[in-house]
Amino acid sequence: MASLSLEHVYKKYPNGFEAVKDFNLDIADKEFIIFVGPSGCGKSTTLRMIAGLEDISQGTLKIDGKVMNDVEPKDRDIAMVFQNYALYPHMTVYDNMAFGLKLRKVPKDEIDKMVRNAAKILDLTQLLDRKPKALSGGQRQRVAMGRAIVRNPKVFLMDEPLSNLDAKLRVQMRSEIAKLHQRLGTTIIYVTHDQTEAMTLGTRIVVMKDGVIQQVDTPQHLYDDPCNLFVAGFMGSPQMNFIDAVVKVTGDQVALQVAGEDIVLPASKAAAVKPYDGKTVVMGIRPENLSDHEDDLKAAKATLTSKVNVRELLGAEVFLYFDIADTPMIARVDPRTSAQVGDQVKFAVDVEKIHVFDKETEKVITN
Amino acid sequence: MVSAQIVKTCLEELTSISKVEFCVQDPSGALFSMTGGAEMTQNDVVASFASSSVDSQIMGNKYLLKIQEEDETVYILTAIGTGDYTLMIAKIAVSELRNLMTAYREKYDRNNFFQNLLLDNLLLVDIHNRARKLHINFAVPRAIILAEIESESDASASDLLASIFTTHNGDYLTEVDENSVIIIKAVENENAYDQVQESAQIAADMLNTEAMLKVRVAYGTIVSDLKNISKSYKEARMAMDVGKIFYAERRVISYNELGIGRLIYQLPSNLCNVFIQEVFGENIPYDLDNETLSTINTFFENNLNVSETSRKLFIHRNTLVYRIEKLQKSTGLDIRVFDDALKFKIALMVMNYLKYLENKDY
Repeated sequence: MASLSLEHVYKKYPNGFEAVKDFNLDIADKEFIIFVGPSGCGKSTTLRMIAGLEDISQGTLKIDGKVMNDVEPKDRDIAMVFQNYALYPHMTVYDNMAFGLKLRKVPKDEIDKMVRNAAKILDLTQLLDRKPKALSGGQRQRVAMGRAIVRNPKVFLMDEPLSNLDAKLRVQMRSEIAKLHQRLGTTIIYVTHDQTEAMTLGTRIVVMKDGVIQQVDTPQHLYDDPCNLFVAGFMGSPQMNFIDAVVKVTGDQVALQVAGEDIVLPASKAAAVKPYDGKTVVMGIRPENLSDHEDDLKAAKATLTSKVNVRELLGAEVFLYFDIADTPMIARVDPRTSAQVGDQVKFAVDVEKIHVFDKETEKVITN
Repeated sequence: MVSAQIVKTCLEELTSISKVEFCVQDPSGALFSMTGGAEMTQNDVVASFASSSVDSQIMGNKYLLKIQEEDETVYILTAIGTGDYTLMIAKIAVSELRNLMTAYREKYDRNNFFQNLLLDNLLLVDIHNRARKLHINFAVPRAIILAEIESESDASASDLLASIFTTHNGDYLTEVDENSVIIIKAVENENAYDQVQESAQIAADMLNTEAMLKVRVAYGTIVSDLKNISKSYKEARMAMDVGKIFYAERRVISYNELGIGRLIYQLPSNLCNVFIQEVFGENIPYDLDNETLSTINTFFENNLNVSETSRKLFIHRNTLVYRIEKLQKSTGLDIRVFDDALKFKIALMVMNYLKYLENKDY
């Protein structure tokens, strides 16, 4: 169990490429923290710097208050699970889990104790004598995890460990990892490009882009209060709808003009947007905050009307795709909706849930 | 040659099952290996038995048996005990040790064969003959994956890789220097680059996670038969070098994806120097500071777009323009203009290459 601290960490390669820029983060003991972002955003590089597999060009990494910059990977007391795991095909599950310890010349009786303990945690005890080919995908993944657990490390580093699994297995393994965190009670740093994985697993999420931290927050805060357009668009599926809007101030009333409709902002949002009078901003609204339900329409302070282009039934919900001023939008509505493709539909806009962003800096004006 | 320790382990296991103690001596009587409760046979007795024509001999409470390799007596096994049971166990021990030696010789020979093959030390006819003798399929598509350990040399790397890339699957491992392990990877067909890429990724990830080693992996093209393996090896070596110079951020690099780095790598240094002189004249920017380098790279990454670059760098547009103009003053190149940007980009790569050559010379 350990706390980590990264202070002004940079990764620059000799060819000038900067993969990570001014990375600052404190990770508490037993925290499950997620690094999320599109590919090439520097999340894996940061993880590899923590592991010691990449040198830190500038800045300091501390584990439990001790500077680790020049400590060899094997001496950092960490264990890793990466995307491309392979099980040793001719070895049993027991030997697969013990192999790393044997390489490190750990005494036999200790290895036995560690392997059996890890097998118990992962519910693999019955499978210890099996060879990899006799295991299911999920069991194999658990063996790969077991190889990390047997080290009894202070920190677990996981780099997209589920990305090679099919969708169903991924969901199953996701909950297993969450349970594992509770059982082990250790610090986990988990890298993924999948925002659903990030939202469901992490106690805190670090959103990265182009080597720079965009926002660090709890999943709920990231979803509700994104700091910029990128975070707002990245977190949530389907992603937030964005549409250009012109700010119109009339006395104390602040409205966003979208496709000829005035959407009057509530007082809580109006003050922040008021200085943008006459300027174009970006309005963001999540699909679930657009509704075609009769009750919502009755209570709505603003509406948007458009023709439905596509209707997707997902069982518990329906996605309606439509355009507003040539901008594609999605609404997540009740499955009992009567809206069909080609219908002209009026959508209630939940004005309390509108986000407004500066078009130039892409930073949030109000959430 | 199989080590005394391995022979001892094998005999001790047999002793723990059968309760028969063993001693192995060479034909002159020198001790090679023995179990805890055994005793050596006198040297002259061993030597005389070794030179005799019989295969086994009883001497008091001992059985002496010959261990032969290709009709040559290489060791004498002494089994302590009497009766048919001891003789049977002694024969099992001889059989075990002979198989162990054959397996080791084959492994050693294969290793030697692949090393010579990779370094172009074999004639075509020898490749055919030796491959047949070593039970290596000649016409199997293969690619070379080269794993270079960045930290100090560690035997665990080859142990680990040998446990993943097994002979059973047609893969072989060898080493030609201290810091790298070579995987001769058999693939399904000559276009199976996904398979090679996946194997290379697995090698890198496993060395990282299991052995906790810093590693860089490169691979060559797939060749159709054994005689062209050295070509794939040379390509992998080149990919490793080019990767280090131009694509340091990549951990796995393919010979097929070296881009412009491949061209520059093949240029003679005098030509590179002439090019740098031509581009920069007397104002060669040998050591650009990090800020300038970062500015230039971000500007290139954002397709020479000033607004986008300034946003990415969190600086004002005018600051970016100032930096670009400052660079123009010192180098004569305005990187906002495509031709100059292209020249600058290539010149930066050429300078990286020259730096690499300089360091290599030392």
